Amino acid sequence: MNDLLMAGGIGAAFGCALECAGLGDPPKLAGQFYLRDFTVLKVMLSAMLTAMLGAFWGGQLGMFDSAAFYLPDTYLLPQLLGGMVFGLGFVLSGLCPGTSCVALASGRIEGAATMLGLFVGVLLVGLAFPAIEPFYRSTPFGSLTLQRLTGLPDGVVVALVTVVAVSVLAWIAKREARP
Amino acid sequence: MKLVRQLGIGALALGLGAPFAGSFFRTQPRALDLDSIARAIDEGSDHVSARQLAQWIRDHRPGLRVIDVRSPAEFRDDAIPTAENVPIDQLAKAHFAPGQTIVLYSQEGAHAGQAWVILRSLGVTQAVFVPGGLADWREEVLYPLLPANASATERAQVEALSHYFGGAPRIGPEQGGDVASAAPIVHGTRRRGC
Amino acid sequence: MRPRLSYAEPHLTGVCLGLVLLACFALTGQGLGASGAFASVASGVVGTVSPQAAAHSAYFRSYLQDGSPWTAWIVVEIIGVLIGAAASAALTGRTRLTFVRAARPSAGKLFAGVAGGTLMGIGAALARGCTSGLALSGGAVLSVGAWIFMAALFLAGFLAAPLMRRLWP
Repeated sequence: MNDLLMAGGIGAAFGCALECAGLGDPPKLAGQFYLRDFTVLKVMLSAMLTAMLGAFWGGQLGMFDSAAFYLPDTYLLPQLLGGMVFGLGFVLSGLCPGTSCVALASGRIEGAATMLGLFVGVLLVGLAFPAIEPFYRSTPFGSLTLQRLTGLPDGVVVALVTVVAVSVLAWIAKREARP
Repeated sequence: MKLVRQLGIGALALGLGAPFAGSFFRTQPRALDLDSIARAIDEGSDHVSARQLAQWIRDHRPGLRVIDVRSPAEFRDDAIPTAENVPIDQLAKAHFAPGQTIVLYSQEGAHAGQAWVILRSLGVTQAVFVPGGLADWREEVLYPLLPANASATERAQVEALSHYFGGAPRIGPEQGGDVASAAPIVHGTRRRGC
Repeated sequence: MRPRLSYAEPHLTGVCLGLVLLACFALTGQGLGASGAFASVASGVVGTVSPQAAAHSAYFRSYLQDGSPWTAWIVVEIIGVLIGAAASAALTGRTRLTFVRAARPSAGKLFAGVAGGTLMGIGAALARGCTSGLALSGGAVLSVGAWIFMAALFLAGFLAAPLMRRLWP
């Protein structure tokens, strides 16, 4: 019960943050792909940087055990194809699974349309699963991380990701400052 | 805009400081500490009996992870309840958190012992293995042989554990043949997040 | 028409979102997610309507094996998202019952929403996560799969965008 209360609380904070950033607004999200509106990249990169640096330094200072954080498994081909199909759907609907809920909650009808579509999508995969299971389980790499892939120490990978992400954000800021 | 610039500078400072802070994301492979390995083997803190493991599983010991290092085919065939399958050639890729208790087992125990050394060499110190493997699990937990003169308490304990996992104790040395009923197979998979 | 109260600064909101994600990791050990909730609910529906079909598919089984799919962690989290977003939109006066892309819902554009959702559902199921569960949460712990997914997502998005210009005037 406590667990579920926490889930609800975290979800509410998540939804609130997404809404405040304006990510419940399909034209704003789709605008990313036409280089008209960079909110998606700004929010995503800032959030990821914060969480990554927080996990690294929090773990370093002994505030929590960042090694126990759940690490998604890597499946090269399913995730490559899944990402591309997902990207297509993203442009088509202007929403993603999390933001479709935000869109609906702030009264936008396409939020409901996208949620219905998502439901149909997972249903289709689930029903066709025996046929696609070999592909679904192909090219497994376990819980591979960038540091294990590159052989670099954690700190160096964190630094590199930070530099790249901040550079991208700075480039966006510069681009937007131009008249 | 000033705030955003400050955020960026802060992120850069934290990020560029990271290489000098060492590593905490996961246990890093470090030089093999042969002394500590030898000591663990000598003390016997490297293994755990099948019955002890059964008690841990029954009591839902926090952070317990039971790892079957055999092939997926063998794992599908029969496995210890709650176990997850990490074949020995995948072991180096697996992710083990420091707070977890990792229990390795194989068919007879030899592979699990070797897997224990692999994990040790990867810096995973919180692992133990079941020396008798799945064979011991069947003989000590599922269908344990109770001496006919066993005390009532001992008998109750062994029976309770055996019944919990769907087995039944055998009484007396002659009645060893009724190990026909198959053990329940429970596949533990981890599914989290999205 | 602009919203009555403009949206917050994206970088700052991003930092807040990152802190929420970090808190989620620290408190529960797992990241945020969204598509998993749809998968869980879909599994629940299939499990109720046709238990055989659910048992036949390892995908549904994986969502049905640990507890009720209706009260799974991630489903409750998504209900929280709905509540949090609704509250935030209402408090800042941004709630408007609208169909954003047109004055009134046109069948074609509504269909684009459903089709996009379906594609994303398929993609997220194949990749084992969506933008929140895989790209954001996995990216923060430097999972290779998360970065592959993100790269593929943006690549496909940028390639497909010119073809769908009519949808986003």
